[in-house]
Amino acid sequence: MLVLYGQLPSRIFADLLTRGRSTVAQLAQHTSLNQRQVRHGIAVLIQLNLIFHFTDQDSGITYYDANPHAAYNLVRTGKILDMVREKYGSDAYTLVNEVLIQGHTKISDLIAAFKKVRIAEPHTVNGVSQNGHHHSNGNGVSNGTSDIKVRDEDVDTEDQAYDSLSQLIAAGILEPLTLAMYQSPQDLRSTIEQDFLANHYPTGIRGAKQTAEFDKYVREKLREFHLENTKLKNDLEFELENGAGSKRRKLTNGDTANTLTNDRVKSILLENRDTVLRVNYDKCVVELRNLKLERYVEDLIGDTTAKVYATLLDVLSRKISRCQVDRLIEVEDENDDASTGPRVTAQEIFEHLNPSIDVSVGLGMLHEDGAIDIRHAEKIRRFPPQLKGSTLKETLQEGEEIVESDDEDYDPSGEAAANFGLYGQNGSDEIKMQADDSVPIGTKRLHQMRQHLLILAESKEGFLRHCGSRDFGEWTVDFEPLMQHLKFLELDTLIENRFGRRGLRLTRILREKGKIDDKTLPSLALMKKPDVHVKMAEMEMAGFLDVQEVPRDNNRAAARTIFFWFFDLERTLQRTLDNTYKSMVRCLQRLDVERRKKASVLSVAERKDVQGMEEEKLRGDIYNEYVQFLDLEKKLLGQIGKLDDIVAVFRDF
Amino acid sequence: MDEQTSILKNQLYAACEDACRDNPERFFSQEDLMALDVVPPKDVKKLLQIIQILTRERLFAPVHFHSGLAWRLRPEAEAAKYKHLTSEDQVLVYEIIDAAGAEGAWQQDIKKRLNLQDNALRKALKELETKRFIQQFTTVENMSKKMWIKFGMQPSARATGGPWYTDQYLDEAFIDTLQAVVVRIIKDRGSYRSTGERGARSVSPVLPKKGIIRGGQSEAAMKSKKRAADAISKDDVSRPTAPAFKARGTVRLPLPAGYTGYPTAEEITAEIVSMHIAKGQPLKTEHVQELLDILIWENRIEEVKTGDRVGYRAVRVSKQHPDMVKLDSEDFWEPRINGLTTVPCGKCPVFELCEEGGPVWAGGCEYFDKWLL
Repeated sequence: MLVLYGQLPSRIFADLLTRGRSTVAQLAQHTSLNQRQVRHGIAVLIQLNLIFHFTDQDSGITYYDANPHAAYNLVRTGKILDMVREKYGSDAYTLVNEVLIQGHTKISDLIAAFKKVRIAEPHTVNGVSQNGHHHSNGNGVSNGTSDIKVRDEDVDTEDQAYDSLSQLIAAGILEPLTLAMYQSPQDLRSTIEQDFLANHYPTGIRGAKQTAEFDKYVREKLREFHLENTKLKNDLEFELENGAGSKRRKLTNGDTANTLTNDRVKSILLENRDTVLRVNYDKCVVELRNLKLERYVEDLIGDTTAKVYATLLDVLSRKISRCQVDRLIEVEDENDDASTGPRVTAQEIFEHLNPSIDVSVGLGMLHEDGAIDIRHAEKIRRFPPQLKGSTLKETLQEGEEIVESDDEDYDPSGEAAANFGLYGQNGSDEIKMQADDSVPIGTKRLHQMRQHLLILAESKEGFLRHCGSRDFGEWTVDFEPLMQHLKFLELDTLIENRFGRRGLRLTRILREKGKIDDKTLPSLALMKKPDVHVKMAEMEMAGFLDVQEVPRDNNRAAARTIFFWFFDLERTLQRTLDNTYKSMVRCLQRLDVERRKKASVLSVAERKDVQGMEEEKLRGDIYNEYVQFLDLEKKLLGQIGKLDDIVAVFRDF
Repeated sequence: MDEQTSILKNQLYAACEDACRDNPERFFSQEDLMALDVVPPKDVKKLLQIIQILTRERLFAPVHFHSGLAWRLRPEAEAAKYKHLTSEDQVLVYEIIDAAGAEGAWQQDIKKRLNLQDNALRKALKELETKRFIQQFTTVENMSKKMWIKFGMQPSARATGGPWYTDQYLDEAFIDTLQAVVVRIIKDRGSYRSTGERGARSVSPVLPKKGIIRGGQSEAAMKSKKRAADAISKDDVSRPTAPAFKARGTVRLPLPAGYTGYPTAEEITAEIVSMHIAKGQPLKTEHVQELLDILIWENRIEEVKTGDRVGYRAVRVSKQHPDMVKLDSEDFWEPRINGLTTVPCGKCPVFELCEEGGPVWAGGCEYFDKWLL
C-alpha cells in the first residue's frame, strides 16, 4: 500500500511491521540499505505520521515503531476528502487534500499552498483527479475538482483559505500536531508512569490506595496531553459560534457574511501561523460514521427519515470527538451516569434542518382514529439499553425491561401534534387540511420532523433514544449497542448471501438459543433433517459454525454421541473482519497485476505531454485500452471502499 | 357382592359419568369420589370395595397422578372389549396401549414394561391386531419406531407433526407458501402504499406559503445538498437505488411510531383461516407463531411491542415490492448487499488457499476474471 510513497519508505515500513520496533542500525541491517538511506526513508514516514519514534532518555537511542492504523487510514483518504467537500465545501477540500499529501504542514505553508493551487487551477482542471489515480487509495471516487467554481479574481483567496481553515480546525477535522503524537500510546504512558514514580514514589508503590492514586495521576496527565492541542480549536469554535452568522449559513452560502468574526478568526490563525496541522482521523471517522448510519437508515426505513437522521447526527457529532471511548483515558464507571452523554433537542435539530428536505413525506398516513398509541410512541427512555450477552434478543429484552420500569414517562410534546391531525402524515383529507391552515407552518414542520425522529426511536436497531422532553424532546444515540446491531446486520447479510435464507435461519436460531443438538434443530427450523445436516455441514466447512461432540458413554460411538451445534459470535465477527482485510488485499493485488499487464499503455498515458489530454494525444486503440483500464481500476477501488465500510463497522465505529 | 354394593357401584359409575361429561379425560382421586355423595361419608372401606369391583370390571382404570393414585373412567363399550381378550398377555399389552391414548405406545417400551418375551409380545400384538383392537402407525419423530395405537384412533399432533406434515413427510412447499402469505399479510397491514402523486398533491396547498420546497421540487434540492452518503460510492455498481426509487413512483412507506395496528399472531391466524388456504389442516395460533419465529430468524419481519400487544411488521419497508407480487418472488426489489457479497472473495471456495505466489492468487483468479469482465 505504501508503494505510493516510493520503494524506500515502503520497504522500511514493511520491515517495521514484521519485526516490531527497531533502531536505525537494525533497520539498515534488515533492509540491506545503508543508514543514510534509512534515515531518509524514516524522515518521509515521520512526515506522513506513519511511524512513532521514541528516544530513550538514558541511552539516547531512538526506536521506531510502525503505526498500522495510520497506514490503514490511507485507504480512507478518498472517503475523507469526499466527505470534507460535501460538508465543508471545495476550499476545505483543497486544504485537507494538501495536508493529506504533505502528512503535516504549518498553517502558513498551507495558506501559501492553497493560493498556489487556486492560481494554477484554471489551467489544470484535471490536476487532482490525476493525483487520485496515482494514489491507490480509493481516491478515484472523488475524481477531480472540476466542479469547483472558478471565482472572481478580486475575491481574496487568502480570506477564503482562512475561513475554511478555521472551520476545519473548529470542527476538529484538522488538529494541531503535538510532540506526544509521535510517540506510540504505550510509550507515552510509560514515560508518564516512570516520571511519576521517580518523583513521588522512588521506592515503588504499595497498597491499593497508592495504586489508585497512581492510576488517577496517569490518566489526568494523559488527558492533559489531549486537551493541550484543543486550545486553538476551542478559540476558533468560540469565535465562530459567537459570530452573528451561524456556521451553517456560511457553509451553504459559501461567502463570508460576517467580516468582523472573520477578521478575528484570521488574527487567531495568524498568531498561530507556525502551528503544525494534521488530519484528525478520529474525527473524520466520526463523520464517516454519520454518513454510513444515514445510509443504513435509508435502507431500513426510508429516504426522508435518513435525511432527518443525518441532520441529527450532524448536530450531535459536534459534541463527539471520537467514535470509541479511549480506554486509556476514560474509566468506565466514571462515565456511568447516562445523563452526561451528548444529546440534542428537537429544536436544535429543527434549526439545522435543511429547508430543502420535505419532512411531510416518507411516512405512511392512517385513516382510522386511535391507531396511534402516543404514550408509547413518545415514551422516554432515560437509560441506554444494556449490552449484555451476544444475541440480539437479549439486548432487546434488557432494554424492554428498563422501559417497563418508567412506564409513566412520556413526552407530552407529541400530544400537541395529535391535535393538528399530524398523525395522518400526508394530510389525509380536506377537512384536516383546512384545520391545518390555522397552525403556523414552522410548528407543523417541526412536528412532522419529530415523526421521523419517533420512528427512528422505535426502530428495532435503536437508531435513536428519546431521552428527555425539553424543547420538543431530547434525543441521543447509543452508538455502542447500535453498532452491535449493525455488525449483526452485516453478518446476516453475508450469511444470507452465501448460504441462503435457510442458512441464515439456522444460524439465527443457534445465536438465540445457544447450543442445540442435532435432533431439536430441524423441528425448530421446520426443515427436513437431511437438509439441515447438509446446510450445517456446509456452514461448518466455511467456518461459521462449530460442533461439539458429547459422547453418552465411553465407547464414543457416533450413534451414542450427542452433537451440539453452536455459533461463536465473537470469533465469527473477528473472522469476517480478517476475511475483509484479506479481500481488500486481493483487490489491491489484482489491481497491481492489471497495472502491470497494461504497463505499456499506462507509461504512455503518464507522459507529461499526454497527461490531462489523453483523449487527443493517444492513438485510438491505446486510448480505448486506457479507458478500459480506468474502468477496471474504478471497479476495484470502489470495491475496496465497500470492503472498508465493513472494516469500519466492525472495528472503528 | 351384595345387592347394596351392586347398586352403589352402578350409582358411583353413573355419577362419575355425569361429572366428567365435559371433560372425558378427567381423573378421580379418592376425595373426588367421596365428594360425589354416593358412598356414605367416612365409609372408606365401602369405597375401596366398590373401586375394586369397578377396576376388576375394567370400568375404572387406575392412573398414577402427581398427588397419588387416581382413576380414569372407561366407557362401558371399551370395558366390554377386555372380555374378548383371551390371554393375560393380551390384557396387559392392551392396557398399556389403551392408557397411552393418542400418543401411542412404542413396542420396545411395552416389552420393557411388561418384561415379556419377544415371541409372547409379538403373538399378543398379532392377536390384538387381527381382532381389530389395535393398529400400527408411524410417528414423524422417529419413522423407524414400531408404534401401536388403539384401533380407529387418530394419532396425536405430536406424532403426525401437526399441519406441517403430509403423510409423515415435512411439507416444505406448504410451509414456504404459508410463510409468503404471512409476509404478505404483515406487509399489507403494517405499511403504507404511497402512489407518489397523491402525497404531493395534498401537501402542496400548505407548504409553499412559507417557501418550503415541496415534494416535487425536493428532488432537485436533494441533489444540491444531501447526496453525501451516496457520493462516496458514486462509482459502485450498486447505485441504481436513486433512479429506481424515483422511477417506481409507488413505494411502501413505514407507518408512524406508536402505530397499534401491526397484526398479532392471533389476527394473522384468523386471516389465514378466513382465506381458506390451509384446507383440511387445522391451523392454530401456535403454528402461525412458529412461522413468525422463522420469519424473524430470516430477517424478513420484526417484532413491535406496544404495551402488551406484540405485533409484527415487515423490515426494510421502503425496499419491499410496493405492489402484489408472486408469492415465490423475493421480498425486496433491492437485495441486501455489502462489500463482501459483491467481491468474488466473499463466496470463494478456495479463499483459505489463496496467497500471493501460490497456486491460487488474485492475479490469476478466474472469479476475478469473470467479475471484472
